[in-house]
Amino acid sequence: MRYQPVIGLEIHAELLTDSKVFCTCQNEFGGSENTRVCPRCSGLPGTLPLLNMGAVRLAAKAGFATDCTVNNYSAFDRKNYFYPDLPKAYQITQFEYPICTDGHITVTGGKDIRINRIHIEEDAGKLVHDDYEGISMADYNRCGVPLIEIVTEPDFRSVEEVQDFVEQIALRLKYAGVCDARMEQGSMRVDVNISIMPVGSAEFGTRAELKNLNSLKAIGRAIEYEINRQSEILDNGGTVVQETRRYNDNHGDTKALRSKEEAHDYRYFPEPDIPPVMLSDEDMEEIKNSMPEMPQIRFARYTEEYGLPEEDSRLIISNKDFSDFYDEAVKINPDYKQISNLMLVELLRHLNESEKSVLDLPFSPADLAELVKMSTDGVVSKNAAKDILKIMFDNGGKPMEIAKNNGFIMDNDASGLEEIVNQVISENADSVESYKNGNQKVFGFLMGQVVRIAGKGANPKLAKDLLTEKLK
Amino acid sequence: MALKEIRDMLDKKEISVVELTEAYLDKINKRDKKINSYITVCQENALEDAKKAQDRINAGLSDAFTGIPISVKDNICTLGVKTTCASRMLEDFIPPYDATVMEKLKKSGIVMLGKTNMDEFAMGGSSQTSYFGGVKNPYDTDRVTGGSSGGAAASVAAGLCAAALGSDTGGSVRQPASFCGVTGLKPTYGAVSRWGLIAFASSLDQIGVIAKSAEDTGYLLNGIYGYDKNDATSSKKSEGDYTSLVGSNITGLKVGVPKEFFGDGLNDEVKAAVLNAVEYYKKLGCEIVDVSLPGLEYAVSAYYLISSAEAASNLSRFDGIKYGLRSGLGEDYSDLIKNSRREGFGNEVKRRIMLGNYALCSGYYDAYYRNATRIRTQLRNEYKEIFEKCDVMLTPTAPTTAYKIGEQENDPVKMYLADIYTVTVNIAGLPAISTTCGYDSNGMPIGMSLIGKSFDEKTLIAVCDRFERDFDRKEAAL
Repeated sequence: MRYQPVIGLEIHAELLTDSKVFCTCQNEFGGSENTRVCPRCSGLPGTLPLLNMGAVRLAAKAGFATDCTVNNYSAFDRKNYFYPDLPKAYQITQFEYPICTDGHITVTGGKDIRINRIHIEEDAGKLVHDDYEGISMADYNRCGVPLIEIVTEPDFRSVEEVQDFVEQIALRLKYAGVCDARMEQGSMRVDVNISIMPVGSAEFGTRAELKNLNSLKAIGRAIEYEINRQSEILDNGGTVVQETRRYNDNHGDTKALRSKEEAHDYRYFPEPDIPPVMLSDEDMEEIKNSMPEMPQIRFARYTEEYGLPEEDSRLIISNKDFSDFYDEAVKINPDYKQISNLMLVELLRHLNESEKSVLDLPFSPADLAELVKMSTDGVVSKNAAKDILKIMFDNGGKPMEIAKNNGFIMDNDASGLEEIVNQVISENADSVESYKNGNQKVFGFLMGQVVRIAGKGANPKLAKDLLTEKLK
Repeated sequence: MALKEIRDMLDKKEISVVELTEAYLDKINKRDKKINSYITVCQENALEDAKKAQDRINAGLSDAFTGIPISVKDNICTLGVKTTCASRMLEDFIPPYDATVMEKLKKSGIVMLGKTNMDEFAMGGSSQTSYFGGVKNPYDTDRVTGGSSGGAAASVAAGLCAAALGSDTGGSVRQPASFCGVTGLKPTYGAVSRWGLIAFASSLDQIGVIAKSAEDTGYLLNGIYGYDKNDATSSKKSEGDYTSLVGSNITGLKVGVPKEFFGDGLNDEVKAAVLNAVEYYKKLGCEIVDVSLPGLEYAVSAYYLISSAEAASNLSRFDGIKYGLRSGLGEDYSDLIKNSRREGFGNEVKRRIMLGNYALCSGYYDAYYRNATRIRTQLRNEYKEIFEKCDVMLTPTAPTTAYKIGEQENDPVKMYLADIYTVTVNIAGLPAISTTCGYDSNGMPIGMSLIGKSFDEKTLIAVCDRFERDFDRKEAAL
């Protein structure tokens, strides 16, 4: 039988606050074990949580970034379970009154994926196992790291939709400064709920929850594997059991972690130590206004207003700093296409090769805008512009000065160039002969000779015209 | 001796802080064997504090609490001093921080004599569930002190401290104060920071004070109240000076008497004494108003569901991993936690944890926890109506006086029902004060309670003080 997958996501994103969500310990990644712990986040008796309003703001931003309703009233609850990495033996989360509800993101194909809710919660610590000694140790550095959990409706029907959604969410969270969304480092973690049903059916099957998906690729492979696994079970007359399964990236498969029967009863109840969070309409406006333009809005601007190809637009927005740089540059020189081209081809190549960020550049967007203008105005040739960009990339500097100091200013003096062309023709009689006999390839060689003698300031179009003329 | 008299004597150097402290320590060493009110006596620390306090007085930098020797309930965290909650689980727990109340009092130069005994994790009304043995009533050592702040009340009654800090979740300051013939004040929820108070039921817990008089409770409350950024549930509404209305004229004050508090189950002698107090206020020119709290019927059930649910969660952190008792038995994490909790907690604590978890289980949550929170809302509304009709409400503190040790602590339901007159105050977050209004035929103190409007401790203290001035208090003959 042919089956249709039904997929929903639960995405945990670590918030980019300076301190943890319920204490003042630093919120960072890595470092030695138990160096960022205090009586609060290690659950000492008598301590009380202290809500970090910065985390609330970021969660609200996540809501605005995904077209959610950000609620004036939200509240915390306790989720109770015993585990050695959870020092209080309960996680503070938002169960009944989440901060954001009812959002959506449009994915590839124009389909809206509904977001049920976004809530704030604290992360747990980590266990470090020493197999040699046969002991386990607890590292509480991550205890109390602020998270949001984004829960979607089961609206996905394909891997592509899921991957597009995850990519978009990651990008929006990055733009909003909510999360750095590094899946490999675990700062964004995606759990996939997946079931299958016969094509044409309206009744969802029993779902499995997939964990440990560290990349878009892993998400894709895990879903494919799971579709096959569940299809085989159904085809053989079996029933899929509701369980949590762990994806193994080395094997490309999923293994059962725990079944529904083993699932905890979390005994949620309202957290009595934290009063409900009240955000006024003014608070909301202020938070909203502090947010940058979201990538999907930029994409629309680039493609619709600027006339950039979708692929180029997508590439520019994929890095906010890069996109910011572009926006600054086109503000000064609204040559959208040329600036996009220079940035996406030349600049991006230099950045990738040197593993640098656009923030490391020793020149400004205005400099780049000027360079493009110099090129389009014919002050320097296109090739010279590339060379100038490389010099700017390596050493900084103003494009006009670089052009002047390095002889890049285009020389439009036809008589001087004509002399050089004549000289090249007379010095390369063999090649000229060969060209006249129909070997077109030689033209490039002769052009090269002209440019070599004339220098980088030579007007390539003029040189080409002259050479063509003389070779007739 | 009243706290302000002690203050006066110390400042006039009629007695030195060291002499005063030594006198209390001597008394503790001689008498506390009989009543077991202290778990830890801070012999050396107290003397050191005393010397520092004297230096301060000598330097003319004396503050309200400089050199005042008090006892502190053993569920209030004290930096460097064991804080056990009277539990085997925390037998050796030494907090790396002070509770906010301790920080404030220490800044003022307080002398802490020691940590007082209590029901384990403050769960109980007899102070007999302590891992370190039960507390005995200074008026009759065959009888209970009430609880859970039994050690605090007994230490005040027996003269083993000038005043005491306790905590009150469902009556734990007022009821032992009543049983031990002293005055106990439970402030409005949020008036005093809970930072450093080892939580029993977070939405009900409040640090309170036990002293020889209403005025003294106000004096001590002045040192501990106030908003604290470390406790998000603490309030900015509380404001001193809590003794400012003491001595003012209370003629015309409306005293509410709720009929539900004088029905079946109330001991006749207690009833007579409390109604006598009503008469007293009437004669003073107060207006006696009949009021009603119909929700009282459900209060005990709601209280035990809410408090046990929160307790089950609050006490989950005691798992043998980070601090506290760790069992040596078992093979894996699951064994470690089970055995540590089995060995670390006493029966009453286990009973409440089970009750609380049951109330929170999916499938029972609506019937138990959610219904309990509805009753909480109802009680709050009923109180709101009551305080539109009167300024304070007068009730018995407990249905009986202190009973014989062993008489009823082993019957949980009977024990729980005995909390009926105190729990509504915690559920509604109100302030209340208990003082002695008589003695029964066995010579045991009878307590009455005044319940007030939110953050109106001043009135309570003044009204209570008025009664105390004309009441002949009998010292415990320990």
